[in-house]
Amino acid sequence: MVKPPSCLLVALCAFAVPALGLAGESQSYKRIEILTASSPTTSRSEQWTPGKGLPLEVSGMAWYRDRLAVSIRKGDIWLLDNTLGSDPAKVTYHRFASGLHEPLGLLVSGEDLLVGQRAEITRLVDRDGDLVADAYLTECDGWNVSGNYHAYTYGPEEDGEGKRWVTLNLGMGKFTNNKTGWRGWGGTIGADGQFEPRCFGMRSPCGLGPNLEGDLFFSDQQGTWIPATPIYHLRSGVFYGNQESLGTLKEKGAPFQLTSVPKANQPYPKALESCPEFVPPAVWLPYNKMGRSATDIQLIKTGNKFGPFEGQLLVGEFTNSAINRVFLEKVNGEYQGACFPFLSGFPSAVLRLLFAEDGSLFVGLSNRGWSSLGNRSYGLMRIEYNGDNPFAIHEMRATPTGFHVSFTEPVDLASVKEGSFSFERFTYQYSSKYGGDEILKKPLPVSGTTWGDDGKSVRIDVADRAAYYVHELQIKHLTDRKGRKLEHGRAYYTLNQIPKG
Amino acid sequence: MIRFLIALGCLGILGELQAESLVPGYQRFHAEKISSRGGALLYSELGCANCHGKSPVRIERSGPSLDALSSRVQRDWVIAFLRDPQAARPGSPMPKMTHDLSKLETEALVAFLGSLGKPARLKPPRHANAERGSALYHEMGCVACHAPTPDYRGPHGPVDAIAEGVVAFPDLAAKTGLLELQHFLTHISDFRGDGRMPHFALDAQDAFDLAAHLLDYQSSDPRDAPRVAPWPKASKEKIDAGRNLFFGQSCHACHDVPGKQAYPKVNLDKSKNVKSSNCLDAGSHPGIPSYQLTENQRASLVAYLVEKPAKPAPEEAVDLTLMAMNCYACHKRDNKGGPVPETDPFFVGEESLGDSGRLPPPLTGIGHKLKEDWMTGVFQGRHRVRPYLKTAMPGYPAHAATLAKLFTAVDHRPDAPALVSNKADLAAGHQLLGTHGGVNCAACHNWGDKPSPGIPGPDLSDLDHRLRPSWFREYLLNPSSYRPGTLMPPLWPGGQSTVPDILGGDTEKQIAAIWTYIQEGKEVPKGYVEKNGQYELVPSDRPIVQRAFFEKAGGRAILVGFPGGIHVAFNGDRGHPARVWRGRFFDAYETWFLRKAEFQKPLGKDALEFGPPPSPNRFRGYELDKAGNPIFQLQHAGHRFTETYRVEGSKLIRSLTSEKSPLPPVAHPKGLKVKTATDSPRKKTFVYSW
Repeated sequence: MVKPPSCLLVALCAFAVPALGLAGESQSYKRIEILTASSPTTSRSEQWTPGKGLPLEVSGMAWYRDRLAVSIRKGDIWLLDNTLGSDPAKVTYHRFASGLHEPLGLLVSGEDLLVGQRAEITRLVDRDGDLVADAYLTECDGWNVSGNYHAYTYGPEEDGEGKRWVTLNLGMGKFTNNKTGWRGWGGTIGADGQFEPRCFGMRSPCGLGPNLEGDLFFSDQQGTWIPATPIYHLRSGVFYGNQESLGTLKEKGAPFQLTSVPKANQPYPKALESCPEFVPPAVWLPYNKMGRSATDIQLIKTGNKFGPFEGQLLVGEFTNSAINRVFLEKVNGEYQGACFPFLSGFPSAVLRLLFAEDGSLFVGLSNRGWSSLGNRSYGLMRIEYNGDNPFAIHEMRATPTGFHVSFTEPVDLASVKEGSFSFERFTYQYSSKYGGDEILKKPLPVSGTTWGDDGKSVRIDVADRAAYYVHELQIKHLTDRKGRKLEHGRAYYTLNQIPKG
Repeated sequence: MIRFLIALGCLGILGELQAESLVPGYQRFHAEKISSRGGALLYSELGCANCHGKSPVRIERSGPSLDALSSRVQRDWVIAFLRDPQAARPGSPMPKMTHDLSKLETEALVAFLGSLGKPARLKPPRHANAERGSALYHEMGCVACHAPTPDYRGPHGPVDAIAEGVVAFPDLAAKTGLLELQHFLTHISDFRGDGRMPHFALDAQDAFDLAAHLLDYQSSDPRDAPRVAPWPKASKEKIDAGRNLFFGQSCHACHDVPGKQAYPKVNLDKSKNVKSSNCLDAGSHPGIPSYQLTENQRASLVAYLVEKPAKPAPEEAVDLTLMAMNCYACHKRDNKGGPVPETDPFFVGEESLGDSGRLPPPLTGIGHKLKEDWMTGVFQGRHRVRPYLKTAMPGYPAHAATLAKLFTAVDHRPDAPALVSNKADLAAGHQLLGTHGGVNCAACHNWGDKPSPGIPGPDLSDLDHRLRPSWFREYLLNPSSYRPGTLMPPLWPGGQSTVPDILGGDTEKQIAAIWTYIQEGKEVPKGYVEKNGQYELVPSDRPIVQRAFFEKAGGRAILVGFPGGIHVAFNGDRGHPARVWRGRFFDAYETWFLRKAEFQKPLGKDALEFGPPPSPNRFRGYELDKAGNPIFQLQHAGHRFTETYRVEGSKLIRSLTSEKSPLPPVAHPKGLKVKTATDSPRKKTFVYSW
C-alpha cells in the first residue's frame, strides 16, 4: 500500500502527476490481497499449482456456480472458492478449463460459461458436473484472425435486451489485416453462431459493461485516431472515429455505410458535425490526468453496500494501476457525463473488475505486455467498503447555465472561497496520429454559485461552455462539516450536449 | 523522366524551382520573412563564406568532391549542369559560373574535370530489386529531405503533397548509372564531405536496391543496367587550359581537387554598400557567380551582412547548424523542427511504442543528456540505440567531434543536482530494475540481448555509457517533461516512491541504486525470461489440447499432443487437420508468455502437411471424451460430423463419423502411408504410418 505523502509534497507533485491521486485517497475502502505475484515470471509451467507463484494474470471474471471463475492470459479458467472470507489463505483453486487462446472475457450462460478467445466465443459445458469443462463448443465466430498479436477479442457482455456483444481490436504490426473480417467492429452473437457486425471505428475496445438501464458501454484506448481515453455508448449503426478499418465497409454484410468520411486534422467538434454516424465518447478521460489506458467497466449495483456511488460506473486503469469513477446522464437523448479519480496505488495494472454479492469488489490485475505503476506482475484483490462515508464529489450534471455538482457529505460553507471552483474547457484534434494533445484550451469564468439548502450540492454558472468540449473542474479549499478535505477535487465533464433551459 | 516531371508538376512551381537554390532550413524557417538569421544561413549554405570567410555555421559548406568525376557522372550531364545548374538539378546551391566562358572554354573545363582521379573498381551485384529499394527509400529517412517517388503508394496511400524545403525527386537517369550510384551511396562521406548529404551505413545490396529504385531500373539483372559512358580522351593542352579556367573561375573555393591551391579569401569590404554587390544582383558579371536569389533571400543576406556579423553565440550556432545540416527534418529541439505533416507518415517503426517508436528522439538538451564521447560516436554513425526506428540516423564522420563539442558547450549543466551512487545499494538496484517487487524496468526495456517480456524499450544494460547520471536522475523523476507523450510512466510520481520497502522508499537513493546497478551489476535483473524449455508441453497420461497461432495451421490452430508421441495441428479456420509430427509436442513459451507470439512451429520432427486441402468445413468446437481426446465438431454444407484421432504404436488413426449425411472429402498427410480401414458413407477410418 502506498502511504499518502505529506501535504507539502502533494502540492508540489500535483502539477507533475495529477493523475495519480495518491493524496487524499479514500480511507473508506479496505484492500485485501488474495494473491499477487510473489515470484517473477519463471513460475509459468504447465504443471503449476496455485499458491506457488502462479501467473494469475486475470483477464476475465464471472460468478459461476457460486464460485469466482477467473480466466488468465495463459489460457486457463480457474474456479476460486471461499473468496469472500477475510483470510486469503483459505481461498481454494480448481482448474475448470485449459488450452484457450488468450481469453479476455467471461459470461455465464445458464449452466455454462462463455469465454472470449482470439478466434471465437466458446461455450464451456461441464457435462458430468465435476467442475471441469468437457466440451469447448464454438458459440460464435466469423471475424478475421490474421495471426497479429494486437487483434484481440473482448467480451462477451450482455445488454438489457439479452443481446451478447463482442468487440474486436484492430491489428497493429506484423500480419495485420484490418481491411476484412470486422476488425475495429463491435457486434452481437447471431442466431447461427455468426458474428453480426453492428458498429465500428474502435481501436482497442478492451472493457465492456452495462449501466443500470442495461445499456452497454465500452472503453477504448488512446492511440491512432484516438487522442485520449474514451468511454462510448455501445450500440448499432454508429461510427466511433477510428478509420483504420474503413475498408471493412466494402464487405458483404456491412450493416451500414458512412454518409461521409470525416476529414482528419480538424478539431473533434467539427469532425463530429461532418458525419451523422460519427458519435463522440460519452466521457473522455483526459490523458495522464485520468490515467492512460482504461480497461473494464463495472456498474456499482450493490444495494448501497459499496458506499455512496450506487448506479455509477467504475473504470479500470491499466498504466496508472487505478480505478476511476464515471457518472452518466442523458441529455437530449444521448449519454454524457463526468469522470473522477477514485482509487489508486494498486500493485499491478487493473484489468478486470467484478462485484460480489456482498458488495465487495474483485480487482483482477495483470501487467502483461505493458507496464504500470504497480510493481508486481499480476494478482487478485478485493475491495470492501468500511461504511465510513467518504467526502467526495458525488455527481456532476450539466444545466442550461453551467453545472450542478453534488457531494457525498454536506460541505462546510465557510470553507468555500473565491476561486474554489475553476473551469477550463478543451477538445482534441481529430487525426490519425497516435494520441493527441488537448487543444483550443480556454479558462472559463464562473459567474455565480448557488448552494442547495442541505449544503450537499451547488449550481455553478459557467459562461462560454461549448458543445463536445471537455469541461475540467478544479475544486479547492472545500471541507465537510467534520473538517475533512475533499478527496480528488477535480472532475472532467464531456459536454456533448448543452441542456436547453 | 516522366516521374520527374510529375514530381515537378506536383509542386506546381516548376519555373520557380529551377530559378532558386533550395536550402531546406531556410525554406522551412526563414523563406517567409526577411531576417538576418536566415541571411546567416544562406551566407553559409550558398557558399558565400567559401569566398568571403567567416562561416556562421560551425561545419562549413563545401562543394561535392570532383575526384574521379568522369567515372561517376555522364559528361553530357556535367556540361548541362555547368551551363545552368538550376535546370539540370532543381534546387542546386551551385551558382552559374560559366556565363562568361565560351563553348570551347567550357569544354576545356570539362576535360580538366574528366582528368581528375582514378575510377573505383565497381563490382556488379548478382541481383537488383527496385521494389525493395523503394521500401528503403521511403522508410529509412531519405524522404525527410528528398521528395517521395511520385507514383509511390505506401501504407498511407498516395503522396498528395510535398513539404516545403524538400528536394524534388531527383532525375538521376541522365546523370549516372546503376553501379556508379551504388558506389556513391556506399561512399557518401567521400564525395559529400560537408555532411549536407549525410553518410548512411548501407550494405552493398541495400545500396544496389536503392540505386535501382532511384533510377527506376526494374529488371532484376543488373548487367543490363545503364552505365556512365566513357568520357572522350582529351589532349594535355585542353586539360591544362581547363585547369587554368578552374582556378581562374575560383571553382576551388568550394571544390576540393588534387593539387588544389589555397583559395585566398576575398574579405567583404564593410565600407562598401553590400546591396550593390555583384554577387547578389542576378546579373552575369564576368568571374562573379550568378545566383538566382528570391527577393527575401537577397534582403536576408543584406540584413545579415549590414549587421557586421560577429561569430554567433553558441545557442545560435546550434540553431544554424541544425538548419544547415537539416537535422530539423527529423528532430525537434526546443519545440522547433521535427517532421512536418507531409513527411510525418513516412516515419515508421515499432507501433507498440507509439510516437516514440517511430519518431527520432528530440535534441532538446541533448548535450546534457548524452556523454560527449558517446555523442561523438552517434555522430560518427557508430551507435544505434533504437533499432525499432526505421529511420536511420546518418553519420557525420568528419564532423562528429565538432558537433558533440558544440552541443555539450550549449546544453551541459555541470551544476545540475548530481546522482550520488552508492555501491552498498547494488542489491537494491537489482531488485528495483526487475519485475519482482521493483519498479518494473524489465517489463518494458530490453537488457543487452534479452528482450523485455513486453514492449521493446531501449536497452538498459549499457545506459551508463550513454547518459549522464544527472540527466538520468532528472528524467526518471518526470519523464514526460523531457519528452511529452512518452510511454515511460512517472515511476516516482511526484517524487514519491511506490516501493516503500526498498531503501526506505527514498526516491533519490532508489534512482541512484538503479544507476549503480547498471554500472556495476553482473546479473540480469529479474523478469527477463530464459527460454529454457520449461514451457514445453509434454503429454504424459492424457492428450494436451492447446490453441495457438501456428505455422501452416493458421491463426486459429488447435494443437493436440498425444502421449504416444504423435501430434496433430488442426486448422480451425478451414475445419481440417493441417499438420502431423512426431517426437516432442510444443513449446508454449511464446503463446503463454509473450505479448507478440508469432506463428509457432512444431517442436518435434518430421512435420508433414495434409493436402491439398479440400473445401473448408465449419469448425464448431470439440467435446473431450473420458480420456481427454478431443472429438472435433464439424459441419459441411450444413451437415454435422465428428472427427477424432488416436495414436496406436507408431500409427495415427483418424476417424470421421456422420449420423445422417455422407462425409465430405478428406486430404491425407503428404508423405505418409495411408490405409483406409473403414469406408462407408457415414464412417471413415484412416490409418497413417511412417
